[in-house]
Amino acid sequence: MFHFALKNILFYRGRSITTFILTFVSTMLFIVYVSMMDGSHRSMLHNALKVYTGAIEIYHKGYRDKGGNEYLIKDVKMVTDKLASIEGIEVYTSRYETYGLLSSQERSAASMVVGIQADKERVLSSIATALKEGEFLVNDSGNCLYMGEGLVKKLGIRLGDEVSFVGSASDNSFAADIFSLCGVFKTGSSEFDAGASFVSRKYFDTLMYAQNKASYITIKLEDLDMVDTINAKIIDLIDDENLESLTWKTLMKTMVEAMEVDSIFGYISLALFLVVIFFVIMIYGFINVSSRIKEFGVLRCIGLSKEKIFLLLFYEVIILSSLAVFLAAPISASICYYYSIHPIVIEGMSEMYKDYGLVSDEIPFDFNLFTILWNVALIYLLNILSVIYPYFYINAFKPIEATRHV
Amino acid sequence: MQKLLMIFLLFWVSLMANEAEDIIAKLDQNLRGKNIYIEMSMKITSMGHTRTMKMKNWAQGTKRSFVKTTYPPKDKGITFLSLDKQMWQYVPKIERVIKIPASMMLQNWMGSDITNDDVVRQSSLVDDYIPRILKKDGNIVTMELTAKEEAAVVWSKIVSKIDTLTYTSKEDLFYDEEDKVVRVFSYDKVKKVSGYFIATYWRVQGVDKKDSFTEIFIDDVKYDIEISDQYFRKSALKRFSR
Repeated sequence: MFHFALKNILFYRGRSITTFILTFVSTMLFIVYVSMMDGSHRSMLHNALKVYTGAIEIYHKGYRDKGGNEYLIKDVKMVTDKLASIEGIEVYTSRYETYGLLSSQERSAASMVVGIQADKERVLSSIATALKEGEFLVNDSGNCLYMGEGLVKKLGIRLGDEVSFVGSASDNSFAADIFSLCGVFKTGSSEFDAGASFVSRKYFDTLMYAQNKASYITIKLEDLDMVDTINAKIIDLIDDENLESLTWKTLMKTMVEAMEVDSIFGYISLALFLVVIFFVIMIYGFINVSSRIKEFGVLRCIGLSKEKIFLLLFYEVIILSSLAVFLAAPISASICYYYSIHPIVIEGMSEMYKDYGLVSDEIPFDFNLFTILWNVALIYLLNILSVIYPYFYINAFKPIEATRHV
Repeated sequence: MQKLLMIFLLFWVSLMANEAEDIIAKLDQNLRGKNIYIEMSMKITSMGHTRTMKMKNWAQGTKRSFVKTTYPPKDKGITFLSLDKQMWQYVPKIERVIKIPASMMLQNWMGSDITNDDVVRQSSLVDDYIPRILKKDGNIVTMELTAKEEAAVVWSKIVSKIDTLTYTSKEDLFYDEEDKVVRVFSYDKVKKVSGYFIATYWRVQGVDKKDSFTEIFIDDVKYDIEISDQYFRKSALKRFSR
């Protein structure tokens, strides 16, 4: 039956070439599109995590909902000592976040002022690389303030200018100081750039009475895919009912939901495309089968069963699909692999879409063998399904009737 | 007959409205006088410990107010000035006069449970709220004060229990935009000073902060004394800080 199917493929060249091209193109597009979609989502996530949020963050329960000094982590060392023994953690650091009033000679603005460990932040976040003017902090930067570009504009200040800070210390007492603007950053997130500023943790702790206290501890992992496993280990090891360890999936719930919605719309448009391809293949198959009714009638008359007819059609489509897929899959996989290493760069894209949180001009692809395999399997399935209707159509004819069909 | 009933109803509603406004006006008068000078202590309890602050307050009506902290030594000399809905602060440690933006009027003042707005008493119960009597129980009248649409105030509604013998409040519930009680002011130890009644013990409790509260003790109060206009100039922030 296989050889018979092969002969038919060679005989009906027009239909074979059309089916081959359609399957080839749809396989290529499907694999590349899914890879690009997954890659851009992964990139969005990595960029977002790179800017400020960690893959895992540890909070005192209530801090995220209510905030305030009552919900600070009171013994940072106890937690970080335990984190040091967990494998898979690249770096961790504690941050002391507070909201206060920053004022220049002329203007005032409410701001989030964060005490950070500069050396660890260099590895953990892209705050350091977002430097636009001046310099990033070091661990002992004194009263140096590293401020978002939007906030700098709001206060109307320049490098070296003094900025007064008024807020509440960790014991709720009054805290005030004069900072000096040492660096300006621009992450691309306009909201963040217009409301955040950073100070060396060592200096800020003294001002805020925040030694060994933290708003939260943020963690970067060696492999982001291990986030759930490592988070489970952290929860197990910390073993403190007042603390909660949350992964980026919870911390960036809005972004995760947006990515899911984007994926759904992506798959819907892809599904529409595949439906069109499916019907085109099916119609071509149907036209081909329609022109071969007499042939099928003769085959049935000489004793070929219905099952053998189906097997013949099945072999034909499998051979054509396999040829197309075996050619398309390596080509598309190579494209995905290449662009996963050398992402497509659209100059100025991040500048154009910075308000939406885009921080990179790169669109990387995601190279994942499992994704490629299920894409290929789906194309096979659609091709197999496309022979079902033509098969039932020819079976509707009785063998003798079919032999007389013109 | 129907017309008579309608006239009676309108008359009764207007009478109730006038009575509500009258009660609030008297309450406000007790709080402010023509002008007022107060010395107070503030005990802030939070996170298992207590801090005490002392301050002096000079005020003329609702538009002008000056506050100076006198204790603890760390915060001594911090001054606040409120003029026509604007607020400034002077911090001796950094030698700066800072303008507090309107968006920060709801922020806690010096780590206590009262807000910047409470300190400068920017919003006026008479001018910014529409009063309505909810309940009368002897001399205790429960009133609802709803913020006027055009009023730039931080509380959407205040429900007060007012003692009509002294025209002082016994309890105020402050509501946010979502009509939820955010904090409770309780008052006690009413004293008569220069013909005005004033509660000399206030307790402020945030609804979502069960273990934190602020107690205010009025140590000294003087009504309708002469207060120099010099207190209500920006230069006063630094000048009277010492």
